[in-house]
Formats: sequence, C-alpha cells, structure tokens
Amino acid sequence: MKHIINSYENINDTARNNSDCPRVVLPEEIFFTISIAGVLENLIVLLAVFKNKNLQAPMYFFICSLAISDMLGSLYKILENILIILRNTGYLKPRGSFETTADDIIDSLFVLSLLGSIFSLSVIAADRYITIFHALRYHSIVTVRRTVVVLAVIWTFCTASGIAIVIFSHHVPTVITFTSLFPLMLVFILCLYVHMFLLARSHTRKISTLPRTNMKGAITLTILLGVFIFCWAPFVLHVLLMTFCPSNPYCACYMSLFQVNGMLIMCNAVIDPFIYAFRSPELRDAFTKMVFCSSTARTTDP
Amino acid sequence: MKMSAQRLISNRTSQQSASNSDYTWEYEYYEIGPVSFEGLKAHKYSIVIGFWVGLAVFVIFMFFVLTLLTKTGAPHQDNAESSEKRFRMNSFVSDFGRPLEPDKVFSRQGNEESRSLFHCYINEVERLDRAKTCHQTTALDSDVQLQEAIRSSGQPEEELNRLMKFDIPNFVNTDQNSFGEDDLLISEPPIVLETKPLSQTSHKDLD
Repeated sequence: MKHIINSYENINDTARNNSDCPRVVLPEEIFFTISIAGVLENLIVLLAVFKNKNLQAPMYFFICSLAISDMLGSLYKILENILIILRNTGYLKPRGSFETTADDIIDSLFVLSLLGSIFSLSVIAADRYITIFHALRYHSIVTVRRTVVVLAVIWTFCTASGIAIVIFSHHVPTVITFTSLFPLMLVFILCLYVHMFLLARSHTRKISTLPRTNMKGAITLTILLGVFIFCWAPFVLHVLLMTFCPSNPYCACYMSLFQVNGMLIMCNAVIDPFIYAFRSPELRDAFTKMVFCSSTARTTDP
Repeated sequence: MKMSAQRLISNRTSQQSASNSDYTWEYEYYEIGPVSFEGLKAHKYSIVIGFWVGLAVFVIFMFFVLTLLTKTGAPHQDNAESSEKRFRMNSFVSDFGRPLEPDKVFSRQGNEESRSLFHCYINEVERLDRAKTCHQTTALDSDVQLQEAIRSSGQPEEELNRLMKFDIPNFVNTDQNSFGEDDLLISEPPIVLETKPLSQTSHKDLD
C-alpha cells in the first residue's frame, strides 16, 4: 500500500499542494490486526450461539446478526488489503476488468456490512424495548419464526441496497439516502433506550434506594450509544463531505483523516461483541465452555 | 477502493466534477481536483476539531442528562432499611433469575414479596382488576418495603400498574450483581415464559 501512495504522490505532486494537509497513513499491520481480531471475536460469538441450545433464542439471534455484519466488515478490510498487496506485487493488473469487478464486489460487501450493523443495532434495541414494555407478552410477540423472518427481510434489503448503492454511487441522492440512515437510526435507538432508562429510573425509585443502579444504567447507555456514534459518525461525515465539498480546503483536511475514520469502523466491529454479546452471562459461559473445554462450566449451568 | 481510485485518476481529465464521486469510498480523494490552501480564515483542521469536540460534548451531555435523571429520582428512605431491601431484592431477583417452574417459585419459603408480585403479574395477564387484587395481596403481605412504596406514592393503583408493566428482575439491580451490572443490558431472556398462565395465553400466538 505504501508503494501505491508513493506512486500517486509522484504523479500528482505538481497538480496539488499536498503539504498543508498530508494524508494520515496508518500502517497496514494495524488494519490487519484489528480486522483479524474482529473476525475472530465475532466468529466466537456465532459459534457459541450455534453450539449452545439454550442460546437459540430471538435475543441471541439478533446479537448473531450484529456479529455477522461486524464480521463482514472486517472481512472486507482483509480482502481489500489482500487485493492491494496482490496488485502491488504485480499479480493483478491495476485496471483490469477482474480487479474492477472485485473492487465493486468488496465495496458492496462493505455497504452490506454497514447497513447490516445499523439494522442489527436497531432490532436489538427494539427487542430490548419489547422485553421491557411488553414483558409478559414478549414471547408471543417475538417468536423464533418472526425473528427469522425479520432477519431475512433485513439482510435481503441490505444486500439489495448494498448492490444498488455501489452501482449508483455516483448519484447524489444515493449518498444522501445512505448517510441519512445513520442519524435516523441514531435517533431511533436513542428514543428507545432513553424511554427504557426512564422506566427503569421510575421503577427503582419505588423499589430501591440505590442510585448506583441507575448510574450504571446511565453509564451503560452512554457506552452503547457513544461507541456507536464515535465509530460511525466520522465516516458518515467523510462521505458527505466528499460528495458535497471535495475541493474545499477545510473538507480536504477532514478527509485526509480517512484511514483513521475507516479504522474506527473496524474498531466498532471489535468492540461490539464486548458490549452486546459478552454482557450476557449465558453467552460468556458458553464461550468459556467452548474455549477451555471444561466440564465444570457445564455443571454450573442451570 | 484504492484500486478504483487509480482508475479514476486515468479518467479524470475526461469526466465532469459531478461524477468524480464515482467511487464514493475511495482513498485517494486528493486526485479529484487541486485543492488550494491559500487564504484560509480559520485553522485548516477546523472541521476536524469542531466535529470531534462537538461529538464529545454531545456524548458527555447525554451522559450528564442521564445522570441527572438518575439523581432527581432518588427516594427518601432510611439507610437502615436499605440492606434489608437489598436482601429482599436479592432473593426476589435470584428467584426469578433462572427460568423456574411456577411451582418452584411458589415453594420458596419466606419469599412473600416475590409471591405477591408474581400474583400481580399473573393478574395482569389474565386481565383481572389489577389494582384491587394486588392491593389485597400486598395488604396481606408483611413486606414493609412494598407497602411503603405503595403508600408513598400518590396514586397507588397507578403505581402498581406501572410496577407490573415490566420485568422487574431485569431492572432491580443489586450490589451483588446477580444479573450483571446493568439495568438496561437485558442479558437474560424474559423469565415470564415459564409461568403457566402466560403460556396459556401465548400458545395461541406461538408458532
């Protein structure tokens, strides 16, 4: 990758003033490490749910959906780096038809992973909302079949949208649609979680004197939403700026940090299992059982 | 993305600027056009700094709003009872911490409070007169805490209804962290599946 950037700079050095906002380049090793960590973690989550019968509930299916989309995002990064390395070492032509097709395919993989993440986080929040506000009817509202249908619809929509966005990516409405999904989903999740939090607050006000419990709820909620915002917003802003003000110097300086923004998305794939999947004691037990192959973990399960 | 940018460079001279976002997520955006850095009024990284500062301020503001919501809801109860409540909540919570059979729940000795609240749940499902039944149940109960909570609120029936509306074990959090440390991270599926009355009403909806 360093070869490519050096060659670009040689070609276009006279055409631009590139000394004011130099592109921030992260070493490939960092991307590789983060992507591989993301793939492994999410694979562990998927395997734990797949192997453990008591984890095959709607709630865990939604967490699996999130794990799949995070895994796809990390896979995208790995594939892209492999393709670039192959092109660097001369195995692939820079402008061949295979390369452009492969590039389009992995770009649509990226968009699929993005949309999948967004929708998975939304359905996880909706599932928790139903758990709290319709607790007694939860198991009649959220059945396994409905879960599978909802996930199938979501992933079909994401795949179709991913392909369509990559094909029509040069149109401004496509970009606007794509980038507006982020704030819409953020508002949706924020409303759900804040409503849940308010209910928790009013409940513990009657039952318990422990403000610490609500403090922990506030911290949890801040972490959930904060990680999402910090990891996704920079990239979304980059896409917007690239569409609407590519030659503005301020926008160009923001866009020089593109690799940092991309890395934040990879970090989101690494952090998500810790704040969603591994918060569940059952899933942690299943993970321990899988990794350490100990029978003691099995006997402590209820 | 990088490879598509290479193609973009070769076609750049023949394309309009509107179609320069052909490969929207390319890395080498610089090649779209020459960027002049002369005559900047503000610092060149002003969007970067402004964006990150705004983001941090938003998240911190959100945290403080949530914390303030926490503090305004602090009840006025004695500290002497807090350990007792914690114990009760622990037993209540551990009672519902696993998907138990209803008869196991009821067979637990000395857990009047959980039984009363469990009755409240059942009654809500069967659409009986919630307030009245729960009043009776809790009036018979010797649980000081619940009665205090009911008496302290202005509208006991409404409070009872609100109490029954959600899954208490997922909210009632104790120091001992029997469910993990957070209210909102529902790490266990709702346990009321195991109650018989619920299963009667839900079987017709289940696939």
